[in-house]
Amino acid sequence: MDTRKIRRAAIALIGAIGVGLALFALFLLSWTPQNSEDYESLHITILLINIAGVVVLFVLMVGNLAKLFNDYRNHVPGSKLKARMVGMFVGLAVLPLLVVFYFSIQFINSGIDSWFNIEIEEGLDDALKLSQAALGIQMRDHLRTTVKISDRLQDVNPRQLIFELSMMRRESGASEISIYGRNSRIIATSSDRSAGSLPQMLTDEVALQIRQNRPYVGLEPLESGGFEIRTAVPFGASNRSDLGGVIQALYPVPDRIGMMADSVDSSYNEYKRAVFIREPLKQNFTLTLTVVLMLSLLASIYGAFVLSRRLVAPIQDLVAGTRAVAEGDFDTRLPTPSRDEIGFLISSFNDMTQRLSSARREASLNQALVEAERANLAVILDRLSTGVVALESDLRIRNANEASGSILNVNLEDRVGEYLPDVAAGQPLLEQFVDVARVHLNAGETEWREQIVLRGEVGRRVLTCACTTLPGDEDHAAGYVVVFDDITALLQAQRDAAWGEVARRLAHEIKNPLTPIQLSAERMRRKYLHTLSDEDAQVLDRATHTIVQQVEAMKEMVNAFSDYARAPDLDINRFDIGVLAHEVVDLYRAQESEISIVLNTDTELPEVEADMGRIRQILHNLIRNATEALEHAEGGRIDVGISAAEVHGVDVIEIVVADNGPGFQTDSVSQIFDPYVTTKPKGTGLGLAIVKKLVEEHAGIIVAENQEEGGAVIRIQLPVNEIARGHMIARLPGLVEKRRERA
Amino acid sequence: MLVLAVVAGMVAFAPVTAQQLPERQGFFDIRSATTLLNEGVHELEARLQLILSDEALDALNSGVPLRIELNFEVIRVRGLWLDSLDASLTFTYELEYRPLSQRYVVRNLNSGDQESFATLYSALNNLGRIQGLPVVDDAVLDLDSRYRFRLQARLSTRQYPAALRLLFFWRSQWQLESDWYEWTLAR
Repeated sequence: MDTRKIRRAAIALIGAIGVGLALFALFLLSWTPQNSEDYESLHITILLINIAGVVVLFVLMVGNLAKLFNDYRNHVPGSKLKARMVGMFVGLAVLPLLVVFYFSIQFINSGIDSWFNIEIEEGLDDALKLSQAALGIQMRDHLRTTVKISDRLQDVNPRQLIFELSMMRRESGASEISIYGRNSRIIATSSDRSAGSLPQMLTDEVALQIRQNRPYVGLEPLESGGFEIRTAVPFGASNRSDLGGVIQALYPVPDRIGMMADSVDSSYNEYKRAVFIREPLKQNFTLTLTVVLMLSLLASIYGAFVLSRRLVAPIQDLVAGTRAVAEGDFDTRLPTPSRDEIGFLISSFNDMTQRLSSARREASLNQALVEAERANLAVILDRLSTGVVALESDLRIRNANEASGSILNVNLEDRVGEYLPDVAAGQPLLEQFVDVARVHLNAGETEWREQIVLRGEVGRRVLTCACTTLPGDEDHAAGYVVVFDDITALLQAQRDAAWGEVARRLAHEIKNPLTPIQLSAERMRRKYLHTLSDEDAQVLDRATHTIVQQVEAMKEMVNAFSDYARAPDLDINRFDIGVLAHEVVDLYRAQESEISIVLNTDTELPEVEADMGRIRQILHNLIRNATEALEHAEGGRIDVGISAAEVHGVDVIEIVVADNGPGFQTDSVSQIFDPYVTTKPKGTGLGLAIVKKLVEEHAGIIVAENQEEGGAVIRIQLPVNEIARGHMIARLPGLVEKRRERA
Repeated sequence: MLVLAVVAGMVAFAPVTAQQLPERQGFFDIRSATTLLNEGVHELEARLQLILSDEALDALNSGVPLRIELNFEVIRVRGLWLDSLDASLTFTYELEYRPLSQRYVVRNLNSGDQESFATLYSALNNLGRIQGLPVVDDAVLDLDSRYRFRLQARLSTRQYPAALRLLFFWRSQWQLESDWYEWTLAR
């Protein structure tokens, strides 16, 4: 359970406690035994519980109201609906409550007031006054009687005083007559009560009045109910100083009159009490009703909050969920609150998000697959020796692989997005390539295949090229993909293979008959030379000599072909190529030629891993080629340079042989390494072909070109060791085929 | 609407709270009190001054009887320990105005005796003069212990109907209660 739920549960609990307290207090308020001894403390407890209930509910209500106001101001989803619902509920609950409250107060007040009316009050007043008047007459009569008794007793002999007193008491109907002397001492008494009961003492009031020489009469309520009339008059005679005092006579009020007077007295008192209690009673009822109203009001307002929150909560969840989905969070799941329409809506929402989520998962899975395929394709394309260039329909480069760059001498991979003809500017190979492509595309041919010969600074390059459209819209092609292969090496290899075959056949077909021809010619010369005349003998001698000489020449030629065709295994050794170059150059310097040979070697050349014999043959062939080219030239000079270099990140030894002779004929530069291509009057035409073959056997590169200042130059780049050789083969895939073929 | 209800409640109670006029508050005071041993019984002699508040007087004249309680307590002094309340007595007197006879009746509810007086003054004066009221038998008191006696007079409202009690509870004029008057038993 999260903190939000705990908090909500706690608030609900407090609310329930508040409502419970309120109801309990209300129950107590109505149930409280009103005459119980501890009514006050009980009432206070009840009141405190009520106040606590009111406070709890009020705090909850204020908190809810503040939150609602805050939500409303911050445009929290659902707050407007909630505010409206709360307003509605409160309106529904409060109005009837107030109406009931108002009418209840009215009923109570008018109900209580109806207990009292002027007539009753006046009637009671009159009854009281009547009773007082009636009793007043009796009181006055009894006072007169007492005065008479006092007068009569004045002259009575003290010895007969008790007797006279008793007689007069009986005559007058008094219940007790006592004569008090000075200091309130009882002198004589007569009572109708049983003997043994003490006569009543003079009260302070009586004594005071008598002292003032005034008679006393009073109506006194009795403990047993009814009344008694007390009268007292001064008593005393000038001749009876000892009797100077008071006569007090008590007269009973007749039972019937006493009972009625009692009834009037208590009724009047009751009525006055009721009048006195009227306002407190009203206030009490009003207080109770107000507390009930407050509790009901607050409870209903709080209930309105709770109810509206419960009703709005799923809608708020739905809004939040919808927002989350809009922001791309498809994993949102809403709690299903109930089985009603809202519940159905929410479960539909959950279904929707679940489906969206799984659809997105599938889409991303597919995307990942596509990406993987794409990556694989990129790897494949990069490893292809075939150049692949994808173009947009407006000839912008969409994609290109590494091989395309190495074939066309431009790094197309880094120029993706550029306009291909712009990229081709200043790049001769690419320019020619683009020209050919344009011709086809301008002619509306989108699918074509052609062998293209590109002419570059380092010779010609033959490409087989195929173009096709990329799938796009129905009307517009999305672009083109041009696939091309550098088949220069392949063609060369085919040519080399053909020449090898020729050489083998020559060796086989021509060399075999040469020996019998030579032997036959020698035998003919030996047998017939001395038999012939001098003139004939000379002819024979010249003829056979020529035959033998030409046969020798033919044998040499056949052997040379045979050498070219033969491909023995390389014998790789480590040696110092500088030393080797010196040896070879010194051999030519020793021939007393006019040609000067200058050898430049780096001071610190690495040792080379190669077939030393073949490298020697390369140097021989190149220098001999150069000397032959300079045979009739004056001031001939051959520069031989050996240096360490790095080509495509591979360590190589560069051998450069340059002369200042006539150079290669420009049209034969590209075919200079083909067998039997020579610009010299002498030579088999195999020298450079063999050199090229040997260089390629070492996975090297050979380039022949004319110098700007005249003369030919041949550059050879040989990997320094086996590792470099491996790298070179990887960089120049065309070499592999040749090496395989040689093998 | 809530405010309306609160205002209505306040208006309804306004008379209760608005009657705080400068009126006689009344007070109960014990001027003197002691006990005298008479024939083995300790009898209370006390002088009280009982001045009723205007509200109490008003109630009395409206036929509402007033009850005045005298609370007497016997406390045994226990030195280091807490003193012990050995006995507690309450003497209740009722003062009532009878409109017919226009007299104030003072009734001893313990004994049932009653007296009537023409004036409230004389009634209260009579009430405030306690003489020879037997309170405790000497035989029940421990001879070796020291005792404290104490007396308090108060106006009781317990006997009234709920509405009146609720009203009186909140009114200071009905909280008439003297301080405890205390003296030690002299042997």
